[in-house]
Amino acid sequence: MARLELQHVCKGYDRPILDRLSLTVEEGEFFVIVGPSGIGKTTLLRCIAGLEVVDAGRVIFGGRDVTRVPPYRRNAAMTFESYALYPHMTVFENIASPLRARRMDEASVRKAVLEVARLLRIEQLLDRRPHEVSGGQKQRTALGRTLVAKPDVYLLDEPISHLDAKIRHELRRQFHTLQELRRVATVYVTHDYAEALSLGDRIGVMGDGGLVQVGSSREIFERPNSIFVARHLGQPSINEVPCRLSRDGGALTLRSLEGSLSFAMNGSQRTILEKVRGDVLVGIRPQHIHVANGGSTSQIDNARVEAFEALGATGVLIAETGGVSLTVLTSPEENFEPGQPVRLGFDVEQFLYFDAVHGRNLRA
Amino acid sequence: MSQSNYRLIKTLLLIFLGIWLVFTLFPLYFMIITSLKPVEEINRMIPTFWPHTLKLSNYAGIFADPGSLKSLADSVIVSVANTALSLLLGTLAGYALARWIRGAAGENLAFWILSNRMFPPVAVIIPMFFLFDSMPWGTDSYFSLIVLYLVFNLPLATWLMMVFFRDAPRELEEAAYLDGFTPLRAFFRVTLPLVFPGMISVAMLCWIFAWNEYLFANLLTGTTVKTFPVHIPTFTLGSQSLWNLIMAFSLVAMLPPVILFVILRRYMVRGLSLGVVKG
Repeated sequence: MARLELQHVCKGYDRPILDRLSLTVEEGEFFVIVGPSGIGKTTLLRCIAGLEVVDAGRVIFGGRDVTRVPPYRRNAAMTFESYALYPHMTVFENIASPLRARRMDEASVRKAVLEVARLLRIEQLLDRRPHEVSGGQKQRTALGRTLVAKPDVYLLDEPISHLDAKIRHELRRQFHTLQELRRVATVYVTHDYAEALSLGDRIGVMGDGGLVQVGSSREIFERPNSIFVARHLGQPSINEVPCRLSRDGGALTLRSLEGSLSFAMNGSQRTILEKVRGDVLVGIRPQHIHVANGGSTSQIDNARVEAFEALGATGVLIAETGGVSLTVLTSPEENFEPGQPVRLGFDVEQFLYFDAVHGRNLRA
Repeated sequence: MSQSNYRLIKTLLLIFLGIWLVFTLFPLYFMIITSLKPVEEINRMIPTFWPHTLKLSNYAGIFADPGSLKSLADSVIVSVANTALSLLLGTLAGYALARWIRGAAGENLAFWILSNRMFPPVAVIIPMFFLFDSMPWGTDSYFSLIVLYLVFNLPLATWLMMVFFRDAPRELEEAAYLDGFTPLRAFFRVTLPLVFPGMISVAMLCWIFAWNEYLFANLLTGTTVKTFPVHIPTFTLGSQSLWNLIMAFSLVAMLPPVILFVILRRYMVRGLSLGVVKG
């Protein structure tokens, strides 16, 4: 049994970083923590690992309170962002290290290391030293060192962030298929939202003081509980349009504070906004705006192209309408010249509405 | 830069290097030939730079002299024991300063330790004599010299080892903790190998100091214990200096540091530049 529990964990240095953070990661669950850099993701991992002593609260591994247990008796394995491979040892000895700590006999060590190396496809590198292998191979070695330990909890700190795109995809796929990671509680930290959405059984978005929202990738992406979460997930990032509600008889209209963008509210949108007083921050994901050529969705005719980037798989169009700049996701085959007029269509049903003061999602 | 400029600079550098080589190598050359000359040739008014007769009898004399051999043995005992102690205590103290004594306290303590190297040694020579004279083992003993040299070598060893430990990434130690190694096992398994080149450099610096030290050795010891620098002046008899023996003996005494340096050069260079380039 290895379920990870954090109860009201507090940790701070000159300012509080973790403020009464509580979290349960079930056995076999792959929990991803995503958040901007410097927010305390690594500190959280270090608290779980025991490299930092929490100021208050409890850390529990499978029912065993390890709050005051030093890292070498916790049975957690962690990969470091810097890999932290021992430079004076071969790849084999690096992977074997946790087994050496347990004074396992040579034959068993060899068997276990070879098994892990084969799994990670680094068996041909075992005699090399860390400085003689590539970044991706270093990462596999570091991962091998954690896998061989068969720990109660896996802690992975930005394991693939510093690798080039091709290897990153390959390792990402490998994380999906590693059964070892599927048997115990895993906490995976990243600042890359795509990595988080792709890997996490559940995702925790970290903001100041702790987890701002926890949920499945779908929940987090489609129903962010605050503008902070919405802003952090998605590339290109969400369009934020501060608006004011105006009621004219039975009609409900959103007008942008700057410029002259306006949307008439109907149906389900209306029920959300009906009770709202004051201003609203409207969040529109770039994929919910499209370049229209007729159709039934809410349309705006007077937009102008500001810039266009074709990014291979997608195109990113920046268009200006009524004094508001909007990012639009298009297909890469299209071509737009700056200044060119375009007609934009909006999937109003997909709009997100946030409290203009606190950034809370009004739907929640 | 044009090709001819480059060539000019290269030529000038070579000329400078040549002058520097003559400047540094000539004394050594003169030592060697003097150690091979008979006394009569040395005592000529006009020295011969290309000796007429060369003989090894001076070296034979040195190796036949029990006093000379004992002084070399004494030097080995004192310098090796002192180096071992400096390295042991300096490594432990340096590690403590680098990892466990944080903040201003650690900084000040470290600086205070180094400041012990800053006073002129002559300033403490009389107090040291009286201090050691009042000890049960007296002044003229191996122990007194071994301990006395710690006064000079330990601050240096502590400070340098502290710098090397600071440059050794802390994450590697933490990774070892997570592998299940206790702090003590992690220290020996991960941290110590990382600073090993540094330790070799520190050992060389300490050892060379203890090997060559003359001032304190001359004052404190001389009868029971007599290190080789103290032994050299005994080749001067009244008005006559036996230059041939002095040079032969000095050359023999020079050999151990030279040989050690050649063997350990690889580590020395790496140790002294440790931390210059992170990698």
